[in-house]
Amino acid sequence: MTGATSSRSFVKSNNLYGWLFISIAVILLAVFLLYPIVYSLYLSTTSSKGIVQNFVGLKNYIRLVKDPMFLLALKNTFTLFIIQVPIMLLLALILASLLNDKTIKFRGIFRTGIFLPAVTSLVAYTILFKMMFALDGFINTALMNLHIIKEPIPWLLDPVWAKITIMIALTWRWTGYNMVFYLSALQNIPDEIYEASEIDGASKVQQFFHITIPILKPLIVFTSIMSTIGTLQLFDEPMNLAQAGVTSATTGPGNSLLTLSVYIYNLCFKYMPDFGYAATVSYVIVFIVAILTVIQFKVAGDKS
Amino acid sequence: MKTRNIAKKIIVYVFLISAFVVSVFPFYWMIVGMTNKSVDVIKGKMTFGNQLINNLTTLFTTFDMKGVLFNSLKISVLTVIGTLIISSMAAYGFQIFSSPAREKIYNAILLSMMVPFAALMIPLFRLIVKFGLLNKHIGLILTSIASVFIIFFFRQSIKSFPHEIIQAARVDGAGEFRIFFTIFMPSMRSTYAAAAIYSFMNSWNAYLWPLIVLQTDEKKTVTLLISSMSSAYTPQYGVIMTAIVIATLPIIIVFFTFQRYFVQGMLGSVKQ
Amino acid sequence: MKKVLSLLLAVLMILSLAACGGSTEKSKTVADEPKTDVSKGQEDTKETLAEKSGKITIWAWDPNFNIAIMNYAKELYTKDNPNVEIEVVDIAKGDLEQKLHTNLASGVIDGLPEITLIEDYNAQKYLQSYPGSFTDLTGKINHNDFAEYKVSLMTLDGKVYGVPFDSGVAGFFYRSDYLEQAGYKHEDLVNITWDDFIEIGKNVKQKTGKAMLAFDLNDGGLMRIMMQSAGKWYFDDNGNINIANNDVIKEAVKTYKAIADSGIIKQTSGWDEWVAAFNAGDSASVITGVWIIGSIKAEESQSGKWKVAPIPRLNISGSVNASNLGGSSWYVIEKTKGKDLAIDFLNTIYGGNNEFYQKILVDQGAVGTYKPAQSGASYASEDAFFGGQKVYTDFSEWMKSIPAINYGLYTYEADSAIFTVMPEVYSGSISIDEALKKAEEQLKNQIN
Repeated sequence: MTGATSSRSFVKSNNLYGWLFISIAVILLAVFLLYPIVYSLYLSTTSSKGIVQNFVGLKNYIRLVKDPMFLLALKNTFTLFIIQVPIMLLLALILASLLNDKTIKFRGIFRTGIFLPAVTSLVAYTILFKMMFALDGFINTALMNLHIIKEPIPWLLDPVWAKITIMIALTWRWTGYNMVFYLSALQNIPDEIYEASEIDGASKVQQFFHITIPILKPLIVFTSIMSTIGTLQLFDEPMNLAQAGVTSATTGPGNSLLTLSVYIYNLCFKYMPDFGYAATVSYVIVFIVAILTVIQFKVAGDKS
Repeated sequence: MKTRNIAKKIIVYVFLISAFVVSVFPFYWMIVGMTNKSVDVIKGKMTFGNQLINNLTTLFTTFDMKGVLFNSLKISVLTVIGTLIISSMAAYGFQIFSSPAREKIYNAILLSMMVPFAALMIPLFRLIVKFGLLNKHIGLILTSIASVFIIFFFRQSIKSFPHEIIQAARVDGAGEFRIFFTIFMPSMRSTYAAAAIYSFMNSWNAYLWPLIVLQTDEKKTVTLLISSMSSAYTPQYGVIMTAIVIATLPIIIVFFTFQRYFVQGMLGSVKQ
Repeated sequence: MKKVLSLLLAVLMILSLAACGGSTEKSKTVADEPKTDVSKGQEDTKETLAEKSGKITIWAWDPNFNIAIMNYAKELYTKDNPNVEIEVVDIAKGDLEQKLHTNLASGVIDGLPEITLIEDYNAQKYLQSYPGSFTDLTGKINHNDFAEYKVSLMTLDGKVYGVPFDSGVAGFFYRSDYLEQAGYKHEDLVNITWDDFIEIGKNVKQKTGKAMLAFDLNDGGLMRIMMQSAGKWYFDDNGNINIANNDVIKEAVKTYKAIADSGIIKQTSGWDEWVAAFNAGDSASVITGVWIIGSIKAEESQSGKWKVAPIPRLNISGSVNASNLGGSSWYVIEKTKGKDLAIDFLNTIYGGNNEFYQKILVDQGAVGTYKPAQSGASYASEDAFFGGQKVYTDFSEWMKSIPAINYGLYTYEADSAIFTVMPEVYSGSISIDEALKKAEEQLKNQIN
């Protein structure tokens, strides 16, 4: 066998093995993911009342612009995204860098405790939060006993407070999760880097901005993209927090917790079922996530 | 200088302790709730009561807690095993045998992560019915074992896997699948552990999709049971709390058993 | 290469096995489907009953109410028909609606039950969205035996599609001890308007320190009670939106704001807080559908302290002291295997068993809309929890005065539109007229 033929046959078999390794996953994804995606793209050109379906072309996309409920859902989702995600990621960064300090005692306990919320199921933790943030629930009772507030805060009764409540809930659930990513990366930074900068007279805050953040940059991009996808698809939390028994039709006071995903759900299952229009709204989410992802890469200046 | 340092330390500890308390407190409350009557749970009673046995009895007699726990366990374990094998194989294929065509497929797969699940539900449901997978646990498992996120996760980790090991094994005459199963898999233990935890949590906590696929009570998972209990006209909150605690325990156990690997594996996957 | 082939084979096998599994499941057939000739609701003779066999699956929500009642119905029916298997599946309400939509929309009946519970507000939406999916029960059930307002909700193009179940007849449940302390007797609470109600509330608040009403300002339940008490809805009879120029809605919104401003309510968010508020004795009254009785009675320590009066009416001509909130009915899905058996089951129990209705009234507080049952003994019994008041006699009486309404297709959309602007009405940043105009505009754009 000459060198040339052996390398060609290797490339060939290499190629075959490449296909074989990915085959099962690709077949499954083609059937259970690609087909539904293409199908719902087709659906987005129809308008329906249940199974009574009409082809409408791009009309659904025009309808979007004039649909006040959709615009409200878009606004709500963005408010959550712009305020909650940065706060959560910053908090996770700070906690991670504090817990990376070897002079801190009980680091293991702190780390474990702060991560703990990430193991709860979304349904379960929202049920818990709803009870804690009730008008005479634990939070208000505690704040009043501590004389921090005089009147109970209408956590889930007022449009603005309801948004704050869901942000608190999301931050509780996900900060520790993001922190673990940062922490594991920080633990691989050699101590010498920090020691050297300390000798140069850098303060902890300077270290945070000049060493920690640059090193974590790829991770920060990764976590912010994951959080973007998560926020734009936010569903379980607003759904369960706002669940107002059997008679209410809004999601949160004044529909303040109506997110895009909840709106899609409503269009399919709560309102007159219009699966075509619902598919259209989903594609708007895809589009927004794609744009935000590109922006996040650009801001981070990362070519990969 | 020294007092300033001490002051700083105090601030750091106060911050950490408050973060810890905030994070852990709801768990304490959940456990207290297990021991109280429904009315007391809503009132926000903070001390232990004597209803634990009552709540447990109701949970296991009125509701089929044993059955749903078994279902959840079965689905989650099978999903984890399937996901680990199939998704890691795919990631291995994409990374070790990279080619322009496969790269395109990979990118397309990644993009699909952005499509919200709600959009796919109706067509996906049609498929499930066509394949005769309705109300079958295998229907849930088959649709989730090729996980885009896990493929992505594994591929990131494989990037740091030394290629030389594979080359050396090839020179020794080992087949590609043997290399994968006997050399690659064992050496990526922590990545597998992290992926296992991740997919176990996802599968155990899944709500929307199981709700649609599983049609009868005897197929239900524990998350579905909790949701149906809490939407009754007269919910029994003590019992619900008990169910939540019991449903959270397996994840906590899985997590703490593999915690070390989880951190390592997460790191391996994202540092590139 | 061999390994590769075997692997591919394994995958194929998994897939085909799964597919086979599905078809074997389907081969289970109903051995002998019963012939149904039950238009009179008469009980068949023992011999023909014994022949009935097969399986019925039923979907419903709420284990303490609908599920418990259905299980009792099942017990009654299978005692006479031992070869019939009935499976009652408990699914949360929102979840049930979602499953029903997904199944109906996908056009396959394999996953559907023979019988499902549907909320009255949603009935027309299902009937019109999924034509041909529900069984026409005209002539198979004697609908004359049921309250007319219920039957009209399930009628489409002259065909009746369901079996009416529970009533949502509304009541003004109040704590007689608190009201007495404030100087009010039962007579003072009968035949009043909402304005009177607020005045009474202020007195109660002043004299007892208790809130008059446990209430969620973001919930549309009371709005629907008010609208139906005046025989109006978000839509006119032709299904056109009727909000901005609807005097009844305007009055209802005005009343909502007056209640919010009066300081007489105990604010709650969601079902559990609301129930907790009156269970804990924090509020002197609650105004809602009769189905709440189970939750009120759950707090046994308050036995003897409650009474029920008719609801207040709107201060507008045409409004009466009777209304409805919620309520649901049973529907049979067309083309399911046990369809005929399901009709026979519903007709035998829900369409003809008086005893059954007496028992569920006592056990679950379920007020059926089956008229013959309302002359039964249980309906006339005195309830010690309500200080010996014959509450069910009263409810049956009020039920007769409920104005019949066509809820149309978009009740939840309309509710959502109104309650999106309500926070602004409460804060006073826009006037009621502006708010209604805004809501109507919003709804128009949303439903085209």
